[in-house]
Amino acid sequence: MADATPKSVLTAPLTKNNPIALQVLGICSALAVTTSMSVSLVMTLAVIFVCAFSNLFVSLIRHHIPSAIRIIVQMTIIASLVIVVDQVLKAFAYEMSKQLSVFVGLIITNCIIMGRAEGFAMQNSPKLSFIDGVGNGLGYGLVLMFVGFVRELFGSGSIFGFTVLHPVQDGGWYVPNGLLLLPPSAFFIIGLMIWIIREAHPEQVEENEFKMKHNTEPKEAV
Amino acid sequence: MAQSNNSIKKILTVAFALCIVCSVIVSTAAVALRPMQLLNEELDRKTNVLRVAGLYERGIDVEAAFAEITSRVVDMRTGEYTDQFDPDTFDHFQAARDPATGRVLSGERDIAGLSRVENYATVYLVGDDPDNPEQLILPIRGQGLWGLMRGYLAIEGDGNTIVGITYYEHSETPGLGAEVNNPRWQAQWEGKQIFSDEESVTPAIRVARGAGTGEHQVDGLSGATLTANGVTNMLQFWLSPEGFGEYLAKFRAGIDQDEAQEADVEFEAEGA
Amino acid sequence: MMGIRQTLDNLEPHFHKGGKYEKMYPLYEAVDTIFYAPPSVAKTTAHVRDGIDLKRIMITVWACTFPAMFFGMWNAGWQSNMAIAEGYASMAGWREAIMMTLTAGHDPGSFWSNIVLGATYFLPIYLVTFVVGGFWEVLFAVKRGHEVNEGFFVSSVLYALILPVDIPLWQVALGITFGIVIGKDIFGGTGKNFLNPALTGRAFLYFAYPAQISGDAVWVAADGYTGATALSLAFQEGMAALTAEFSWWDAFLGFMPGSIGETSTLAILIGAAVLLWTKIASWRIMLGVFLGMVATSALFNLIGSDTNPMFAMPWYWHLVIGGFAFGMVFMATDPVSASMTNQGRLIFGALIGVMTVLIRVVNPAFPEGIMLAILFANLFAPLIDHFFVQANIKRRLQRTGVPAEETA
Repeated sequence: MADATPKSVLTAPLTKNNPIALQVLGICSALAVTTSMSVSLVMTLAVIFVCAFSNLFVSLIRHHIPSAIRIIVQMTIIASLVIVVDQVLKAFAYEMSKQLSVFVGLIITNCIIMGRAEGFAMQNSPKLSFIDGVGNGLGYGLVLMFVGFVRELFGSGSIFGFTVLHPVQDGGWYVPNGLLLLPPSAFFIIGLMIWIIREAHPEQVEENEFKMKHNTEPKEAV
Repeated sequence: MAQSNNSIKKILTVAFALCIVCSVIVSTAAVALRPMQLLNEELDRKTNVLRVAGLYERGIDVEAAFAEITSRVVDMRTGEYTDQFDPDTFDHFQAARDPATGRVLSGERDIAGLSRVENYATVYLVGDDPDNPEQLILPIRGQGLWGLMRGYLAIEGDGNTIVGITYYEHSETPGLGAEVNNPRWQAQWEGKQIFSDEESVTPAIRVARGAGTGEHQVDGLSGATLTANGVTNMLQFWLSPEGFGEYLAKFRAGIDQDEAQEADVEFEAEGA
Repeated sequence: MMGIRQTLDNLEPHFHKGGKYEKMYPLYEAVDTIFYAPPSVAKTTAHVRDGIDLKRIMITVWACTFPAMFFGMWNAGWQSNMAIAEGYASMAGWREAIMMTLTAGHDPGSFWSNIVLGATYFLPIYLVTFVVGGFWEVLFAVKRGHEVNEGFFVSSVLYALILPVDIPLWQVALGITFGIVIGKDIFGGTGKNFLNPALTGRAFLYFAYPAQISGDAVWVAADGYTGATALSLAFQEGMAALTAEFSWWDAFLGFMPGSIGETSTLAILIGAAVLLWTKIASWRIMLGVFLGMVATSALFNLIGSDTNPMFAMPWYWHLVIGGFAFGMVFMATDPVSASMTNQGRLIFGALIGVMTVLIRVVNPAFPEGIMLAILFANLFAPLIDHFFVQANIKRRLQRTGVPAEETA
């Protein structure tokens, strides 16, 4: 990571090294909170905040963290930040925190944050670590917002709560797709998104583990 | 440095310092923000009450609107108000669990699937005169298809005509059972009658299968028969003598025949 | 016949490398192998000596759905004409225009009137399925450079047959897109899918548009007609209400509303007989499904329930209502997504039978269970196979003391 520059640590996690799409981390909250865009946005902000500051604090004290208890130290810092975020949301955005329910608390278990603290902040300067945290939070948020956009638009016919496609239940023409309101739909959407990203960045595609032999030889190999 | 970092002394120091710092931050946040959170919860409850009473609009001052609503705790066994509890802090769930304030329901009597029910409930009275309110707002809850549904039912001062119903907590299927919160479905409840005649104590109101007919039925939810049954059952329970029956009887007896007739005529004119 | 060969041979160079339509080779190949045995030859471990290739198998399966398909069209028309005769308005629009030019009007007594009306619903559904699904199939074949897989031929007809009559065509297109792309092609196409593509498409619609398609209310093409399906009738009001509405023979012969191809158990069994006689479908799977269903329903009959009338439904009713027969004969036996080992097939089938009855009887939300049961069992098929393959290996090891050579 010697060549890490502020710009590269900020932008790399967006598509090139996206925490959800490439590292496949933090999926569970992506499934749960993406039924509407405003909830996705709040979740994104919360994750950016926690990720950036946990990276910052871990990096600040990285020379003093005994390696024997480093994971516990990181966990403690992350957990404290998450509780603060949860309390703040409950105080200032009650409606949102009700919709996010346990998933704010579950940011603690979001592997992205732990992974960045352990993998990046332990070796890098506070400034770089902070930017890396923001970058990874943004990368996570990018996926969340995309999934939230698709699910809210086609599942409820609205964007950020504003009706775009007028649903039939309210006398409009659009028949909302109920599957998109159920968590499994986020799996499909994330899968399709990974597909798109890998079309753009073919170097992300893993090597085949094995190759099936063709049983027959076509007359013309196409 | 790595060596000294892993010494017992250093480990303990770091762990201890970290714990102190983190706990101070967390507890400061929790304590400092507590009043605002309570206020929010309060506001949320009031908003739900206003919503069912049809008094809520986006952006209104909830506190000001709530000023004309009086909350009281009712003893459901007698139908009388009680001052034993503070209506603002009375907790239905706790009351149901406590043997002193709740009781066990079983078998036939437990149509709403509650297993335990409280003997007291907070009701909200809309209007300047709490003794002669324009609307009564009653908390209701019961099993839907997937889980407990909690909501409010608003009834006119005659104790018989429904103003509205709303659910603030449920886990029904999106697009099917979750349509209980569709404003178009909720709008049908307005003006429906709970009881079929003056003397009846068994609520006649129900969610029909398919299109509802008459003043005691509302349209079913398409594809969500079981959620609709849940709604019917919880109304049957809470409006019966097991629930608010005794309390409602006071209001039903309170108005004389002429007034009731008038109220009906007025409503029909509105409906047309 | 020689004319066809000659035409094809003349066209062929255009589709080869460097030819005008190089990219379209899969299309050429698809047409060529309809008429003639494929030019490709086995070169690895497979040594099948049979004139029947995948394409012939698939065409046979397709033909086996004909009884159910034609009965389904007639029945769809008949149900609709009956409703219209009772006073419901017909669905207006272009279907009505075709109906009026070809027939004397809505007459439930006229075979012609019924089948034409049914066809105006089924054929567009099938056409949309074929065109949209075919588009994806060819797109993936061209992009990936393999042949158009014949499996689609069967998937499309099965998918069309398990749809309700009055489904909007855009939902048909969306469902088959999901079924073909997500259910099959992203895993590499025919032979590599672990779910039945037709059912995947149907399941998509089932969860996406539950209000219209969950199988709670009946599907009859008449304006404003509503009613409960046989299954939800039995669930809500009990067996007595069901038998008052339909006789068992009605249900067996298919004179009841439902998805297009699923109503007539008799027509499906005719197809089943051909499939079993030609040894295309596995009798073990069908038997497994049947026995699983009989055993589970018998168990429920025995337990009994005061609150759930479905407990009392006997096996011979489970067989004839809903999509059970269709699923058992055409869906569960899909050779790709089912278990491959012989003992595994019995277990696989039994799992479907058990799950179907469980979902029908115990689950309050879904009246029909066969679709979910088959998809569920599809997921378990590789696991079931794994156990039997391991058991075989262990047995052989014990007998010979030598580990078997690794074979593909």
